[in-house]
Amino acid sequence: MAHLFGRQTKEQEQRDELLSAYLDDQLNAGERARLEAQLKTDPALQAELEALRHTVALVRDLPPVPIPRNFILPPTMAARPRPAPSARPRRALRAKPQDKAWAAPFLTAATSVASLLFVIVLAGDLLLSRVGRLAFAPASAPLPEAEAPKTELTPPLVEELEAGKTAHPTAAPIATPLPMEAPVEAPLETTAEAERGAVVTPKVTASPAPAMGGGPIEETAAPAPAPSPAEAEELTAAPTMATAAAVAEEEDEGSAEPTPSVVIEPPPSEVEEEEADAAEDRQDAPESEITEPVTISPWRVLEIGLGLTTLGLALATVWAWRARRH
Amino acid sequence: MDKASLIAAAQQGKVDAFNELVLVYQQQVYNLACRILGDPASAADATQEAFISVYQSIARFRGGSFKSYLMRIVSNRCYDELRRRKRHPTTSFEDFGKDVETNPALINGHEEPEEYTERQEMAHLIQAGIETLPSGQRITLVLSDVQGLSYQEIAAVTDVSLGTVKSRLARARSKLRDYLRVHGELLPARYRLEYEGS
Repeated sequence: MAHLFGRQTKEQEQRDELLSAYLDDQLNAGERARLEAQLKTDPALQAELEALRHTVALVRDLPPVPIPRNFILPPTMAARPRPAPSARPRRALRAKPQDKAWAAPFLTAATSVASLLFVIVLAGDLLLSRVGRLAFAPASAPLPEAEAPKTELTPPLVEELEAGKTAHPTAAPIATPLPMEAPVEAPLETTAEAERGAVVTPKVTASPAPAMGGGPIEETAAPAPAPSPAEAEELTAAPTMATAAAVAEEEDEGSAEPTPSVVIEPPPSEVEEEEADAAEDRQDAPESEITEPVTISPWRVLEIGLGLTTLGLALATVWAWRARRH
Repeated sequence: MDKASLIAAAQQGKVDAFNELVLVYQQQVYNLACRILGDPASAADATQEAFISVYQSIARFRGGSFKSYLMRIVSNRCYDELRRRKRHPTTSFEDFGKDVETNPALINGHEEPEEYTERQEMAHLIQAGIETLPSGQRITLVLSDVQGLSYQEIAAVTDVSLGTVKSRLARARSKLRDYLRVHGELLPARYRLEYEGS
Protein backbone atom coordinates (compact mmCIF):
# COMPACT_ATOMS: atom_id res chain seq x y z
CA MET A 1 0.00 0.00 0.00
CA ALA A 2 2.79 2.35 0.94
CA HIS A 3 4.50 1.41 -2.26
CA LEU A 4 1.32 2.32 -4.13
CA PHE A 5 1.12 5.71 -2.42
CA GLY A 6 4.80 6.32 -3.01
CA ARG A 7 4.40 5.54 -6.69
CA GLN A 8 1.35 7.76 -6.88
CA THR A 9 3.20 10.59 -5.18
CA LYS A 10 6.11 10.27 -7.55
CA GLU A 11 3.79 10.22 -10.54
CA GLN A 12 1.99 13.23 -9.14
CA GLU A 13 5.27 15.08 -8.73
CA GLN A 14 6.23 14.34 -12.32
CA ARG A 15 2.81 15.49 -13.47
CA ASP A 16 3.05 18.71 -11.45
CA GLU A 17 6.52 19.36 -12.82
CA LEU A 18 5.22 18.98 -16.34
CA LEU A 19 2.28 21.28 -15.64
CA SER A 20 4.52 23.90 -14.00
CA ALA A 21 6.98 23.86 -16.86
CA TYR A 22 4.07 24.00 -19.31
CA LEU A 23 2.81 27.19 -17.65
CA ASP A 24 6.25 28.75 -18.09
CA ASP A 25 6.56 27.47 -21.63
CA GLN A 26 9.61 25.45 -20.69
CA LEU A 27 8.63 22.16 -22.40
CA ASN A 28 10.06 21.05 -25.71
CA ALA A 29 7.72 20.47 -28.65
CA GLY A 30 7.27 16.74 -28.05
CA GLU A 31 6.51 17.06 -24.31
CA ARG A 32 4.17 19.90 -25.02
CA ALA A 33 2.22 17.97 -27.68
CA ARG A 34 1.87 14.90 -25.46
CA LEU A 35 0.66 16.97 -22.50
CA GLU A 36 -1.85 18.93 -24.56
CA ALA A 37 -3.27 15.71 -25.97
CA GLN A 38 -3.59 14.33 -22.43
CA LEU A 39 -5.27 17.51 -21.21
CA LYS A 40 -8.00 17.18 -23.84
CA THR A 41 -8.93 13.71 -22.62
CA ASP A 42 -8.36 14.13 -18.88
CA PRO A 43 -10.62 16.70 -17.12
CA ALA A 44 -8.94 16.08 -13.76
CA LEU A 45 -5.58 16.95 -15.25
CA GLN A 46 -7.13 20.01 -16.83
CA ALA A 47 -8.49 21.07 -13.42
CA GLU A 48 -5.09 20.59 -11.85
CA LEU A 49 -3.56 22.76 -14.53
CA GLU A 50 -6.11 25.48 -13.94
CA ALA A 51 -5.61 25.37 -10.20
CA LEU A 52 -1.89 25.66 -10.66
CA ARG A 53 -2.29 28.48 -13.16
CA HIS A 54 -4.55 30.31 -10.72
CA THR A 55 -2.07 29.86 -7.88
CA VAL A 56 0.74 31.29 -9.98
CA ALA A 57 -1.49 34.19 -11.02
CA LEU A 58 -2.31 34.95 -7.39
CA VAL A 59 1.37 35.05 -6.47
CA ARG A 60 2.21 37.22 -9.44
CA ASP A 61 -0.58 39.60 -8.49
CA LEU A 62 0.78 40.15 -5.03
CA PRO A 63 1.20 43.87 -4.57
CA PRO A 64 4.75 45.15 -4.12
CA VAL A 65 5.60 45.92 -0.54
CA PRO A 66 6.53 49.58 -0.22
CA ILE A 67 9.99 50.25 1.13
CA PRO A 68 10.07 51.60 4.69
CA ARG A 69 12.99 53.93 3.93
CA ASN A 70 15.74 54.60 1.45
CA PHE A 71 18.68 52.22 1.53
CA ILE A 72 21.28 54.63 0.14
CA LEU A 73 24.73 54.37 1.64
CA PRO A 74 26.27 57.23 3.63
CA PRO A 75 29.14 59.17 1.96
CA THR A 76 31.48 57.91 4.67
CA MET A 77 31.37 54.51 3.00
CA ALA A 78 33.75 55.89 0.37
CA ALA A 79 36.45 56.38 2.99
CA ARG A 80 36.43 52.74 3.95
CA PRO A 81 39.10 50.53 2.46
CA ARG A 82 37.93 48.71 -0.60
CA PRO A 83 39.24 45.36 -1.74
CA ALA A 84 41.60 45.41 -4.65
CA PRO A 85 40.09 44.05 -7.86
CA SER A 86 42.79 41.44 -8.16
CA ALA A 87 42.32 40.23 -4.62
CA ARG A 88 39.98 37.38 -3.87
CA PRO A 89 36.81 39.27 -2.95
CA ARG A 90 35.20 36.68 -0.72
CA ARG A 91 38.28 36.49 1.46
CA ALA A 92 38.56 40.25 1.44
CA LEU A 93 34.98 40.61 2.62
CA ARG A 94 35.63 38.24 5.48
CA ALA A 95 39.01 39.68 6.30
CA LYS A 96 37.76 41.65 9.26
CA PRO A 97 36.21 38.79 11.20
CA GLN A 98 39.16 36.56 10.36
CA ASP A 99 41.55 39.12 11.82
CA LYS A 100 39.93 38.48 15.15
CA ALA A 101 39.39 34.81 14.52
CA TRP A 102 43.05 33.82 14.84
CA ALA A 103 43.27 35.25 18.34
CA ALA A 104 40.98 32.72 20.02
CA PRO A 105 42.87 29.53 19.03
CA PHE A 106 46.20 31.24 19.61
CA LEU A 107 45.20 32.38 23.08
CA THR A 108 43.82 28.92 23.85
CA ALA A 109 47.14 27.35 22.93
CA ALA A 110 49.05 29.96 24.92
CA THR A 111 46.85 29.37 27.94
CA SER A 112 47.39 25.63 27.69
CA VAL A 113 51.17 26.05 27.50
CA ALA A 114 51.21 28.47 30.43
CA SER A 115 49.02 26.13 32.50
CA LEU A 116 51.30 23.20 31.72
CA LEU A 117 54.38 25.20 32.68
CA PHE A 118 52.70 26.28 35.88
CA VAL A 119 51.88 22.70 36.81
CA ILE A 120 55.40 21.53 35.95
CA VAL A 121 57.00 24.27 38.01
CA LEU A 122 54.66 23.61 40.92
CA ALA A 123 55.32 19.88 40.81
CA GLY A 124 59.04 20.46 40.48
CA ASP A 125 59.05 22.78 43.45
CA LEU A 126 57.17 20.26 45.59
CA LEU A 127 59.37 17.36 44.51
CA LEU A 128 62.63 19.25 45.00
CA SER A 129 61.63 20.55 48.39
CA ARG A 130 60.61 17.06 49.47
CA VAL A 131 63.84 15.53 48.17
CA GLY A 132 65.80 18.28 49.91
CA ARG A 133 64.12 17.61 53.23
CA LEU A 134 64.70 13.90 52.94
CA ALA A 135 68.33 14.48 52.06
CA PHE A 136 69.01 16.83 54.96
CA ALA A 137 66.89 15.10 57.58
CA PRO A 138 69.50 12.51 58.86
CA ALA A 139 72.19 15.15 59.25
CA SER A 140 69.91 17.43 61.16
CA ALA A 141 69.71 15.32 64.28
CA PRO A 142 73.10 16.13 65.84
CA LEU A 143 73.34 19.62 64.44
CA PRO A 144 70.68 21.62 66.17
CA GLU A 145 71.90 21.11 69.68
CA ALA A 146 73.64 24.42 69.62
CA GLU A 147 71.23 26.54 67.70
CA ALA A 148 67.76 25.23 67.42
CA PRO A 149 66.54 25.57 70.96
CA LYS A 150 66.98 29.31 70.70
CA THR A 151 64.10 29.58 68.37
CA GLU A 152 62.01 26.78 69.67
CA LEU A 153 61.71 27.58 73.30
CA THR A 154 58.51 28.95 74.63
CA PRO A 155 58.18 31.08 77.76
CA PRO A 156 57.06 28.34 80.10
CA LEU A 157 59.95 26.20 79.05
CA VAL A 158 62.42 29.01 79.56
CA GLU A 159 61.06 29.55 83.00
CA GLU A 160 61.35 25.91 83.75
CA LEU A 161 64.85 25.81 82.46
CA GLU A 162 65.77 28.72 84.61
CA ALA A 163 64.20 27.06 87.60
CA GLY A 164 66.10 23.87 86.95
CA LYS A 165 62.94 21.94 86.45
CA THR A 166 63.82 20.50 83.14
CA ALA A 167 62.47 17.07 82.90
CA HIS A 168 64.69 14.35 81.54
CA PRO A 169 67.81 16.37 80.86
CA THR A 170 69.15 13.54 78.86
CA ALA A 171 66.09 13.05 76.81
CA ALA A 172 66.91 12.79 73.18
CA PRO A 173 65.31 14.98 70.60
CA ILE A 174 62.32 13.50 68.90
CA ALA A 175 64.22 13.09 65.75
CA THR A 176 66.91 11.07 67.49
CA PRO A 177 66.28 7.46 66.70
CA LEU A 178 64.88 5.37 69.48
CA PRO A 179 65.53 7.14 72.78
CA MET A 180 65.56 4.84 75.71
CA GLU A 181 62.33 6.15 77.07
CA ALA A 182 60.67 6.25 73.75
CA PRO A 183 57.61 4.14 73.38
CA VAL A 184 56.82 2.05 70.38
CA GLU A 185 55.52 5.07 68.50
CA ALA A 186 58.95 6.65 68.43
CA PRO A 187 60.01 5.39 65.02
CA LEU A 188 56.83 6.75 63.55
CA GLU A 189 57.52 10.14 65.05
CA THR A 190 61.04 10.03 63.82
CA THR A 191 59.85 9.44 60.32
CA ALA A 192 57.33 12.20 60.59
CA GLU A 193 59.88 14.64 61.89
CA ALA A 194 62.38 13.70 59.26
CA GLU A 195 59.80 14.38 56.61
CA ARG A 196 59.00 17.72 58.11
CA GLY A 197 62.51 18.94 57.56
CA ALA A 198 65.77 19.59 59.22
CA VAL A 199 64.99 23.02 60.54
CA VAL A 200 62.68 21.83 63.27
CA THR A 201 64.53 18.67 64.09
CA PRO A 202 65.42 19.31 67.75
CA LYS A 203 61.84 19.57 68.65
CA VAL A 204 60.92 21.16 71.90
CA THR A 205 57.24 20.98 72.36
CA ALA A 206 56.06 22.75 75.42
CA SER A 207 52.68 23.14 76.90
CA PRO A 208 51.32 26.21 75.20
CA ALA A 209 49.05 27.25 78.00
CA PRO A 210 50.90 28.70 80.96
CA ALA A 211 47.71 28.89 82.90
CA MET A 212 47.33 25.16 82.90
CA GLY A 213 49.71 24.91 85.79
CA GLY A 214 50.17 21.19 85.64
CA GLY A 215 53.55 21.52 84.11
CA PRO A 216 56.04 19.77 86.28
CA ILE A 217 54.03 16.68 86.92
CA GLU A 218 53.03 16.22 83.38
CA GLU A 219 56.38 17.14 82.02
CA THR A 220 57.92 14.21 83.76
CA ALA A 221 55.68 11.95 81.83
CA ALA A 222 57.53 12.69 78.70
CA PRO A 223 57.16 9.32 77.01
CA ALA A 224 53.45 9.63 77.14
CA PRO A 225 51.57 9.71 73.87
CA ALA A 226 53.12 12.38 71.74
CA PRO A 227 51.06 15.07 70.10
CA SER A 228 50.25 14.54 66.53
CA PRO A 229 52.82 15.87 64.07
CA ALA A 230 50.40 18.51 62.91
CA GLU A 231 49.86 19.81 66.35
CA ALA A 232 53.55 19.81 67.13
CA GLU A 233 54.26 21.68 63.96
CA GLU A 234 51.61 24.22 64.75
CA LEU A 235 53.03 24.80 68.14
CA THR A 236 56.53 25.39 66.89
CA ALA A 237 55.83 26.95 63.56
CA ALA A 238 55.55 30.57 64.61
CA PRO A 239 57.72 31.72 67.44
CA THR A 240 56.21 34.57 69.29
CA MET A 241 57.72 37.74 70.63
CA ALA A 242 57.83 36.11 74.02
CA THR A 243 59.94 33.36 72.56
CA ALA A 244 62.32 35.88 71.14
CA ALA A 245 62.52 37.68 74.43
CA ALA A 246 63.20 34.45 76.23
CA VAL A 247 65.94 33.58 73.82
CA ALA A 248 67.44 36.98 74.28
CA GLU A 249 67.40 36.56 78.01
CA GLU A 250 68.97 33.19 77.71
CA GLU A 251 71.69 34.57 75.54
CA ASP A 252 72.30 37.41 77.95
CA GLU A 253 72.78 35.00 80.75
CA GLY A 254 75.47 33.36 78.77
CA SER A 255 73.87 29.98 78.64
CA ALA A 256 75.83 28.85 75.68
CA GLU A 257 75.40 25.28 76.59
CA PRO A 258 73.13 23.35 74.37
CA THR A 259 69.73 23.11 75.80
CA PRO A 260 68.46 19.63 75.89
CA SER A 261 65.37 18.91 74.00
CA VAL A 262 62.34 18.40 76.06
CA VAL A 263 59.15 16.82 74.97
CA ILE A 264 56.29 17.92 77.09
CA GLU A 265 53.14 16.17 76.25
CA PRO A 266 49.90 17.99 76.89
CA PRO A 267 47.10 16.06 78.43
CA PRO A 268 44.25 15.17 76.11
CA SER A 269 42.07 17.80 77.73
CA GLU A 270 44.45 20.50 76.62
CA VAL A 271 44.41 19.66 72.95
CA GLU A 272 41.66 22.11 72.16
CA GLU A 273 43.40 24.91 73.93
CA GLU A 274 46.57 24.05 72.09
CA GLU A 275 44.74 24.42 68.87
CA ALA A 276 43.34 27.75 69.99
CA ASP A 277 46.80 28.95 70.86
CA ALA A 278 48.11 27.68 67.60
CA ALA A 279 45.45 29.71 65.89
CA GLU A 280 46.56 32.72 67.85
CA ASP A 281 50.11 32.00 66.84
CA ARG A 282 49.06 32.01 63.25
CA GLN A 283 47.31 35.30 63.76
CA ASP A 284 50.52 36.66 65.21
CA ALA A 285 52.45 35.52 62.22
CA PRO A 286 53.87 38.96 61.40
CA GLU A 287 55.74 38.83 64.65
CA SER A 288 57.72 35.89 63.39
CA GLU A 289 59.12 38.15 60.72
CA ILE A 290 60.96 39.93 63.44
CA THR A 291 62.78 36.84 64.57
CA GLU A 292 63.20 35.14 61.19
CA PRO A 293 64.05 37.11 58.08
CA VAL A 294 61.69 36.13 55.24
CA THR A 295 63.39 35.04 52.06
CA ILE A 296 61.35 34.51 48.89
CA SER A 297 62.67 31.65 46.88
CA PRO A 298 62.91 31.98 43.11
CA TRP A 299 60.51 29.06 42.86
CA ARG A 300 57.82 31.13 44.53
CA VAL A 301 58.44 34.06 42.23
CA LEU A 302 58.26 31.77 39.22
CA GLU A 303 55.09 30.09 40.46
CA ILE A 304 53.36 33.38 41.17
CA GLY A 305 54.41 34.81 37.84
CA LEU A 306 53.26 31.78 35.90
CA GLY A 307 50.02 31.63 37.84
CA LEU A 308 49.22 35.25 37.08
CA THR A 309 50.16 34.78 33.43
CA THR A 310 47.92 31.73 33.15
CA LEU A 311 45.04 33.60 34.75
CA GLY A 312 45.46 36.56 32.42
CA LEU A 313 45.68 34.34 29.37
CA ALA A 314 42.60 32.40 30.43
CA LEU A 315 40.58 35.61 30.75
CA ALA A 316 41.85 36.83 27.38
CA THR A 317 40.92 33.49 25.82
CA VAL A 318 37.37 33.69 27.13
CA TRP A 319 37.08 37.23 25.78
CA ALA A 320 38.45 36.19 22.39
CA TRP A 321 36.03 33.27 22.01
CA ARG A 322 33.11 35.50 22.96
CA ALA A 323 34.19 38.14 20.47
CA ARG A 324 34.55 35.50 17.78
CA ARG A 325 31.10 34.12 18.48
CA HIS A 326 29.57 37.55 18.09
CA MET B 1 23.90 58.42 -16.74
CA ASP B 2 23.05 54.86 -17.73
CA LYS B 3 23.43 51.82 -15.47
CA ALA B 4 26.74 50.72 -16.98
CA SER B 5 28.25 54.14 -16.30
CA LEU B 6 26.87 54.12 -12.76
CA ILE B 7 28.36 50.70 -12.14
CA ALA B 8 31.73 51.82 -13.53
CA ALA B 9 31.67 54.90 -11.31
CA ALA B 10 30.69 52.81 -8.30
CA GLN B 11 33.63 50.53 -9.03
CA GLN B 12 35.83 53.61 -8.72
CA GLY B 13 34.48 54.11 -5.22
CA LYS B 14 31.91 56.80 -5.93
CA VAL B 15 29.13 56.37 -3.42
CA ASP B 16 26.83 58.82 -5.17
CA ALA B 17 26.86 56.71 -8.32
CA PHE B 18 26.19 53.58 -6.31
CA ASN B 19 23.32 55.28 -4.53
CA GLU B 20 21.76 55.95 -7.89
CA LEU B 21 21.74 52.21 -8.44
CA VAL B 22 20.30 51.73 -4.96
CA LEU B 23 17.40 54.00 -5.81
CA VAL B 24 16.74 52.02 -8.98
CA TYR B 25 16.76 48.56 -7.38
CA GLN B 26 15.84 49.05 -3.75
CA GLN B 27 12.13 48.38 -4.30
CA GLN B 28 12.76 45.05 -6.00
CA VAL B 29 15.42 44.01 -3.53
CA TYR B 30 13.28 44.87 -0.53
CA ASN B 31 10.25 43.20 -2.04
CA LEU B 32 12.21 40.02 -2.66
CA ALA B 33 13.54 40.00 0.90
CA CYS B 34 10.11 40.77 2.32
CA ARG B 35 8.39 37.95 0.41
CA ILE B 36 11.07 35.46 1.36
CA LEU B 37 11.38 36.42 5.02
CA GLY B 38 7.82 37.59 5.66
CA ASP B 39 9.03 40.18 8.13
CA PRO B 40 9.53 43.86 7.20
CA ALA B 41 12.22 44.49 9.79
CA SER B 42 14.32 41.49 8.79
CA ALA B 43 13.76 42.34 5.14
CA ALA B 44 15.00 45.90 5.70
CA ASP B 45 18.10 44.59 7.45
CA ALA B 46 18.78 42.07 4.69
CA THR B 47 18.31 44.75 2.04
CA GLN B 48 20.68 47.20 3.71
CA GLU B 49 23.29 44.53 4.32
CA ALA B 50 23.00 43.36 0.72
CA PHE B 51 23.60 46.86 -0.66
CA ILE B 52 26.60 47.34 1.61
CA SER B 53 27.96 43.97 0.56
CA VAL B 54 27.45 44.77 -3.11
CA TYR B 55 29.20 48.11 -2.74
CA GLN B 56 32.16 46.54 -1.00
CA SER B 57 32.51 43.82 -3.62
CA ILE B 58 31.44 45.69 -6.73
CA ALA B 59 35.05 45.80 -7.88
CA ARG B 60 34.81 42.14 -8.84
CA PHE B 61 31.62 42.61 -10.86
CA ARG B 62 32.64 41.69 -14.39
CA GLY B 63 29.56 42.68 -16.34
CA GLY B 64 26.39 40.72 -17.06
CA SER B 65 23.10 41.32 -15.34
CA PHE B 66 23.59 43.64 -12.39
CA LYS B 67 20.08 42.84 -11.26
CA SER B 68 20.89 39.13 -11.10
CA TYR B 69 24.08 39.96 -9.23
CA LEU B 70 22.09 42.00 -6.74
CA MET B 71 19.39 39.34 -6.39
CA ARG B 72 22.02 36.70 -5.77
CA ILE B 73 23.49 38.59 -2.86
CA VAL B 74 20.18 39.45 -1.24
CA SER B 75 18.97 35.87 -1.76
CA ASN B 76 22.05 34.60 0.04
CA ARG B 77 21.36 37.03 2.87
CA CYS B 78 17.79 35.78 3.14
CA TYR B 79 18.98 32.19 3.00
CA ASP B 80 21.39 32.86 5.87
CA GLU B 81 18.61 34.49 7.86
CA LEU B 82 16.26 31.54 7.28
CA ARG B 83 18.97 29.13 8.39
CA ARG B 84 19.60 31.25 11.46
CA ARG B 85 15.91 31.20 12.29
CA LYS B 86 15.86 27.45 11.90
CA ARG B 87 18.73 27.11 14.35
CA HIS B 88 17.36 29.69 16.79
CA PRO B 89 13.60 29.93 16.36
CA THR B 90 12.35 33.04 18.12
CA THR B 91 9.34 35.25 17.94
CA SER B 92 9.83 38.82 19.00
CA PHE B 93 7.08 41.08 20.23
CA GLU B 94 7.81 43.37 17.31
CA ASP B 95 6.58 40.67 14.95
CA PHE B 96 3.09 40.72 16.41
CA GLY B 97 0.69 42.94 14.57
CA LYS B 98 3.10 43.61 11.76
CA ASP B 99 2.14 42.36 8.38
CA VAL B 100 3.75 43.00 5.06
CA GLU B 101 0.30 43.43 3.56
CA THR B 102 -1.05 45.82 6.18
CA ASN B 103 -0.23 49.09 4.60
CA PRO B 104 -2.74 51.82 3.78
CA ALA B 105 -0.52 52.96 0.95
CA LEU B 106 -1.52 49.82 -0.94
CA ILE B 107 -5.08 51.03 -1.31
CA ASN B 108 -5.84 51.54 -4.93
CA GLY B 109 -7.56 54.83 -5.64
CA HIS B 110 -10.26 53.09 -7.67
CA GLU B 111 -10.70 50.25 -5.23
CA GLU B 112 -13.54 49.99 -2.77
CA PRO B 113 -12.54 49.43 0.87
CA GLU B 114 -14.21 46.02 0.75
CA GLU B 115 -12.18 45.01 -2.27
CA TYR B 116 -9.03 46.23 -0.61
CA THR B 117 -9.84 44.15 2.46
CA GLU B 118 -10.45 41.05 0.37
CA ARG B 119 -7.25 41.55 -1.56
CA GLN B 120 -5.39 42.06 1.68
CA GLU B 121 -6.78 38.82 3.11
CA MET B 122 -5.83 36.96 -0.02
CA ALA B 123 -2.31 38.40 -0.02
CA HIS B 124 -1.95 37.53 3.65
CA LEU B 125 -2.98 33.94 2.98
CA ILE B 126 -0.59 33.60 0.07
CA GLN B 127 2.26 35.05 2.09
CA ALA B 128 1.46 32.59 4.88
CA GLY B 129 1.53 29.79 2.32
CA ILE B 130 4.89 30.95 0.96
CA GLU B 131 6.33 30.91 4.46
CA THR B 132 5.45 27.23 4.84
CA LEU B 133 7.78 26.30 1.99
CA PRO B 134 11.34 25.08 2.49
CA SER B 135 14.02 27.73 1.95
CA GLY B 136 15.17 26.63 -1.50
CA GLN B 137 11.64 26.27 -2.86
CA ARG B 138 10.56 29.54 -1.28
CA ILE B 139 13.39 31.54 -2.81
CA THR B 140 12.86 29.91 -6.20
CA LEU B 141 9.12 30.63 -6.14
CA VAL B 142 9.62 34.29 -5.17
CA LEU B 143 12.35 34.80 -7.76
CA SER B 144 10.15 33.28 -10.44
CA ASP B 145 6.60 34.38 -9.68
CA VAL B 146 7.19 37.59 -7.69
CA GLN B 147 10.33 38.91 -9.33
CA GLY B 148 9.68 37.43 -12.77
CA LEU B 149 13.14 35.96 -13.31
CA SER B 150 13.62 33.28 -15.96
CA TYR B 151 14.75 29.75 -15.18
CA GLN B 152 18.26 30.58 -16.38
CA GLU B 153 18.44 33.69 -14.19
CA ILE B 154 17.18 31.76 -11.18
CA ALA B 155 19.76 29.06 -11.82
CA ALA B 156 22.48 31.74 -11.89
CA VAL B 157 21.18 33.52 -8.80
CA THR B 158 20.74 30.42 -6.68
CA ASP B 159 23.75 28.62 -8.15
CA VAL B 160 21.89 25.43 -9.04
CA SER B 161 21.13 23.59 -12.28
CA LEU B 162 18.16 24.27 -14.52
CA GLY B 163 16.65 20.91 -13.61
CA THR B 164 16.80 21.79 -9.93
CA VAL B 165 15.11 25.11 -10.60
CA LYS B 166 12.36 23.35 -12.51
CA SER B 167 11.68 20.74 -9.84
CA ARG B 168 11.91 23.24 -6.96
CA LEU B 169 9.49 25.58 -8.65
CA ALA B 170 7.03 22.77 -9.46
CA ARG B 171 7.08 21.52 -5.86
CA ALA B 172 6.69 25.01 -4.46
CA ARG B 173 3.72 25.75 -6.66
CA SER B 174 2.07 22.43 -5.90
CA LYS B 175 2.49 22.90 -2.17
CA LEU B 176 1.16 26.42 -2.33
CA ARG B 177 -1.80 25.23 -4.37
CA ASP B 178 -2.53 22.52 -1.81
CA TYR B 179 -2.17 25.06 0.99
CA LEU B 180 -4.68 27.38 -0.64
CA ARG B 181 -7.03 24.46 -1.18
CA VAL B 182 -6.92 23.53 2.47
CA HIS B 183 -7.41 27.12 3.55
CA GLY B 184 -9.78 27.90 0.69
CA GLU B 185 -12.64 28.82 2.93
CA LEU B 186 -10.60 31.75 4.17
CA LEU B 187 -10.28 33.16 0.69
CA PRO B 188 -12.77 35.68 -0.64
CA ALA B 189 -15.42 34.07 -2.82
CA ARG B 190 -14.11 35.35 -6.11
CA TYR B 191 -10.72 33.83 -5.36
CA ARG B 192 -12.20 30.60 -4.05
CA LEU B 193 -14.53 29.63 -6.88
CA GLU B 194 -11.94 28.04 -9.08
CA TYR B 195 -10.76 25.73 -6.29
CA GLU B 196 -14.15 24.32 -5.51
CA GLY B 197 -14.38 22.48 -8.77
CA SER B 198 -11.00 20.81 -8.47
